[in-house]
Amino acid sequence: MPADLGPLLTATDVHRHFEGMHAVDGVSIEVLPGRLTGLIGPNGAGKSTFLAVLAGTLPASEGSIVFDGEEISPLPAFRRARRGLVRTFQLPSEFAQLTVLENLLAAAPKNRGDSVVGALLGRRYWGADEDALVERARGLLGRFRMIEKENQYAGDLSGGQKRLVEIMRALMLEPRLLLLDEPMAGVHPSIVGEIASYLESLRDEGLTILMVEHQLAIVERLCDPVIVMAQGKVIGRGPLVELRRQREVVDAYLVG
Amino acid sequence: MTFYITTLLVYAAVDIIACIALNMQFGVSGLVNFGFILFQAAGAYTAAVLSLPPQSANGGFQQYVLGLQLPFPLPWIAGAIAGGVVAIPIGLVVLRKLRGDYQAIALLVISIIANIVITNARPFLNGAAGVSLVPPPLADQIGVEAVNTYEYQYFYVVISLLCVGLVLFAANRIANSPYGRSLRAMRENEVAAAALGKNLLAQKLTMFIVGGVMGGLSGAILVGFIGLWAPAGWLYPETIVLFAAIIVGGRGNNWGAILGAILVPVGFFEATRFLPNFGQPGLIPAFQWVAIGSLILGFLWFRPKGVFPERRRTFPNPSAG
Repeated sequence: MPADLGPLLTATDVHRHFEGMHAVDGVSIEVLPGRLTGLIGPNGAGKSTFLAVLAGTLPASEGSIVFDGEEISPLPAFRRARRGLVRTFQLPSEFAQLTVLENLLAAAPKNRGDSVVGALLGRRYWGADEDALVERARGLLGRFRMIEKENQYAGDLSGGQKRLVEIMRALMLEPRLLLLDEPMAGVHPSIVGEIASYLESLRDEGLTILMVEHQLAIVERLCDPVIVMAQGKVIGRGPLVELRRQREVVDAYLVG
Repeated sequence: MTFYITTLLVYAAVDIIACIALNMQFGVSGLVNFGFILFQAAGAYTAAVLSLPPQSANGGFQQYVLGLQLPFPLPWIAGAIAGGVVAIPIGLVVLRKLRGDYQAIALLVISIIANIVITNARPFLNGAAGVSLVPPPLADQIGVEAVNTYEYQYFYVVISLLCVGLVLFAANRIANSPYGRSLRAMRENEVAAAALGKNLLAQKLTMFIVGGVMGGLSGAILVGFIGLWAPAGWLYPETIVLFAAIIVGGRGNNWGAILGAILVPVGFFEATRFLPNFGQPGLIPAFQWVAIGSLILGFLWFRPKGVFPERRRTFPNPSAG
């Protein structure tokens, strides 16, 4: 990515209130293209809520979100996803009664059979799109070493495998900004390193990622810059090594 | 005996179409439409008032709107369209803001309200007595005598089964397409589906209309055969019977919906009809409802996926071939 490009996403003074509780209280951040930005903070800091507000899962109470030069805060979640802003979830959110391959295919946009009229016209009409998407999905399954699982129901997978399905599913949309909400949560430690390597390689290919994560070792390895939130506000940003020296950040983690 | 068999076959066709429609909504898309019977009623009433002569024709003993005496198959087509049209305002009200379980409650309530309104607004569709003497298809062309022949009975069975074939074809095309996959994804996890770019409202409303069209057609077929349609025939428990059929047959599988339709609304109610009468009047129907409830509970407990579970979709692998 050329350095003179502006931020891919700019959130300005974003608020999210729940019945008087300020879960997100005036957060402003920039996400630079091609970077894996970390979002850390103690429990209840508002990280996940902020991510949900960015993706449109929750509407913002106030504030502006500009994605690729366009104000997106009035848009519902599905329109943001179609523009390339795709999120994953903290809790497993696989389509349990769909196979792994179907989970990926369900996320794929641009299939002529993905409308009621297209469906009624039959396979002759949409088969070519479908075949191309199956091939692309199998490419991802191969890369994430899940190809033998393609016909398993996603609900029967292990926690770590479900995480991988979610990431692959998001990648099927060819996102321009991937929002990951604790992709290592509930994952066996032996797979954490594997997921980290996948994220590292996606970053190195130029994918822009904003990731909420608790495990500082992972954040240190993958993320630059890192944004620290506490009590709904941003209290620090920069490389993690520098943040470790900031009194306020350390206090928030210890106290929080 | 022939009349009995043809009657059973037409009832089976009607119930199969209704079950496929509800399966597309509930089994495939996850929409708990507790008001489904309303769409069948919309189709039946529409087909009735389009087949009937003007209300003054029979000495004005019944009141209803229209009375256009349209030739077959226009009343059936209009019945199907009516089911879809009714789905639009109801869908927009119910599907936009409410979450799944509240949608189900709202639909149940709408179905009950609609029944009460039709019962009490007599000039519209003749109130509690319902519309009767609905001419069967082609009666005007071939004469009333011809309608009471075996040949006509079998003809009715054939056109009903043709409609079943058409509905099954359309339903399977949708269920087995990429669109069907998007619907199943919505059923499995709405929030995740929206985060992957699925327009949930559009998908739900579309399936509301698709199911409404099929339900409307089923009503049109039934009213053409039995010749009358009254509020007592589309009380909300009728919807529960269809749900029982789908749970028994297999949610998400149209062949399961067909089996369920044959086993529950047709088979079960026909089989129990021949029980010797015992106890007070109304005891056997009451036991029928107990049995339907037990059937739902039993299947959800012991075989939640039904007799024919939704099949696993696999894709041919070129390298393995």
